[in-house]
Amino acid sequence: MKPGATPYLFLLPYLAVFALFWAWPILDSLLLSFQNTRVYPPVWDLGVNWGRILRDSAFWDALRNTLLILVIQVPLMLTLATALAVALNSHLLKARGFFRFAFFAPVVVGAVAYSAVFRLLFNQNGAVNAALGLDFNWIFDPVGAMVVIIVALTWRWTGYNAIIILAGLQNIPKELYEAAEMDGASPWQQFWYVTLPSLRPVLLFCLVLSIIGTLQLFTEPWLITNGGPGTATTTLGVYLYRQGFQNINFGYASTIAYVITLLALVFSLIQLRLFGRES
Amino acid sequence: MRAILALGTALALSSALAQQIQGNPNLRGEITVWSWDIAAKALEANVPGFNKLFPNVKVTVVDLGNQATYDRGLAGCAAGGGDLPDVYSVENNEAEVFWTRFPNCFTDLNTLQPAASTLRNLFPAFKWTELTMGNRVYAIPWDSGPVVMFYRRDIYSQAGVNPNTIRTWDDFIAAGRKIAAATNNRVKVGVIANGQDDEWFRMLANQNGCFYFNNEGTAVTVNQPGCVTALETVKRLIDAGIVLQGGWNEQIQAFKAGTVATSMFGAWYEGTIRSNAPEQSGKWGVYPMPASRPGGVRAANLGGSALAIPASSRNKEAAWAFVRYALATTEGQITMLKQYGLVPSLLAATRDPYVQQPQPYWGNQRIWQVILGTLGSVPAARGTQFFQEARAIMVKTQADYVAGRFPSAKAALDAAAQQISQATGLPVAR
Repeated sequence: MKPGATPYLFLLPYLAVFALFWAWPILDSLLLSFQNTRVYPPVWDLGVNWGRILRDSAFWDALRNTLLILVIQVPLMLTLATALAVALNSHLLKARGFFRFAFFAPVVVGAVAYSAVFRLLFNQNGAVNAALGLDFNWIFDPVGAMVVIIVALTWRWTGYNAIIILAGLQNIPKELYEAAEMDGASPWQQFWYVTLPSLRPVLLFCLVLSIIGTLQLFTEPWLITNGGPGTATTTLGVYLYRQGFQNINFGYASTIAYVITLLALVFSLIQLRLFGRES
Repeated sequence: MRAILALGTALALSSALAQQIQGNPNLRGEITVWSWDIAAKALEANVPGFNKLFPNVKVTVVDLGNQATYDRGLAGCAAGGGDLPDVYSVENNEAEVFWTRFPNCFTDLNTLQPAASTLRNLFPAFKWTELTMGNRVYAIPWDSGPVVMFYRRDIYSQAGVNPNTIRTWDDFIAAGRKIAAATNNRVKVGVIANGQDDEWFRMLANQNGCFYFNNEGTAVTVNQPGCVTALETVKRLIDAGIVLQGGWNEQIQAFKAGTVATSMFGAWYEGTIRSNAPEQSGKWGVYPMPASRPGGVRAANLGGSALAIPASSRNKEAAWAFVRYALATTEGQITMLKQYGLVPSLLAATRDPYVQQPQPYWGNQRIWQVILGTLGSVPAARGTQFFQEARAIMVKTQADYVAGRFPSAKAALDAAAQQISQATGLPVAR
């Protein structure tokens, strides 16, 4: 055996798993996207799914809903997460370990349990209406349902991002702040001219993760609003699932999956171009 | 065998029952049944009677909820037939997707003993359309869903509304206004799901002889005149401010709280009202659904299900015995009718003396006569394998039309027809 083969032998178990559970499904779904899977057995039909997706208003609704969540929820969450990280990093804060855990905890909670709780909270007779003195049917109103999804997502993921940003904060050299203080920079100026620029790679990382996560969003709209009312909270992930597993149209579902992948790719490239040059 | 014979002689249809159940009483094993809501409870109610004949078969009924039963069934079939029960409940409308896409996922009941073809004449012919493919029989008809209006006698009479004079939807809207006026707008005349379901549209369309697809399942017909009228009526009801909007759970909450005077549903809803609001006994009655024009059809069908046996079942013989006992004997069907209001599709059961009896919960009205009396006028409609896809599109279209996003019902349904056509590959009928 050639000595050069050894590393490949070590990699073999991983490569086998990768080929079976990653490469093959990825390739097979590409092939599926060119088949008419509404008949048994499926037949090759190059344009049936890719042609449909351009004219499918339900797909465009799902895309619009997903982008709406992306544009509103992601910046909101990252702003909150940055503020939270700065607060958690402050020397003035007592019991920092406890707070760090507390804000991270939502990620640990099971998605099904927390979705059920959000449904109850935003029920017409729920705690949110009671606290606000409203009689608003959140889940069954198109705007209300979207608000619930955004609030739920923010609750779940802000702490997670804050912990990542916190790690970034702790990597910023203390000397930078000392120098800034010597130059007479106010705390706000320090944050704006020292903290934020130094956080850029970490924020970019959080942004890319959040955008990919949002493009694949399924759990919350499925469990809290079931994509409704109508299609008001149907995201690309929910629409894909409906096509694949409710309508048993795996060809079209694969096409949607490829569109999501392409979108994620495009978004990531744009971000790297805009923000990532120096890192 | 003695037990079977004893039971058989006790019943008018002795020979038929003994024949249908001709199974070995020493059958052993455990079977699992998937179903939902009242339907699951009704099957559960049949277990003691079944165990008298087959004491060694343990039946476990699992209530998964309606949508989850469908979703998990399809997922199981798509995965090659794993994680499925021994007896599977499926709505007639949604059934065809299973047999067309996964022809080997379920047992051809003609291959079992006795063959399903021997049961053929015991059920009306239309119930078999969605359950057979060529010579294969995939499921046995269970109940049907003739649509009626369940109403609160006390609220109607307090508002001075006589249900016998409600013959058209215009009459119904007028009645709704009277009820609202008499109760200071506290009580609505009905509950319509909007944005979550299109069941009112489907019931009214069916009444008008229209549906998503034609009865051959070869073209989209959702933009035909009968459907246009149906959608217009749904909007008129909502615009009049006389109905609540809500889904399955909201409707139950509303009738329990007494804030709704009518529920329109397939007759299987009888058991839902009776078991959820026992305290309202004697206050309810039924009348046939109003027509879209004077003298028009006052009947439709919503729902109605069937039982199938997945090919992966390890206990097909026991499963088949249970299916035959529950669905193909008068005893099984009348048990489900009595306890949970499931309308039998077994012809012998529709002639059982029980259906002639006045029902105390319903103010001693002979409701099953009223309900079964509409069966003959129900226009045929076929779900096809694309039912769920068409329904998802229609739920959205109805919500958009009600919200005023289309100039007319015709325009809304033209758009829906285009989308359904794209989704299914079927042409829009001219």
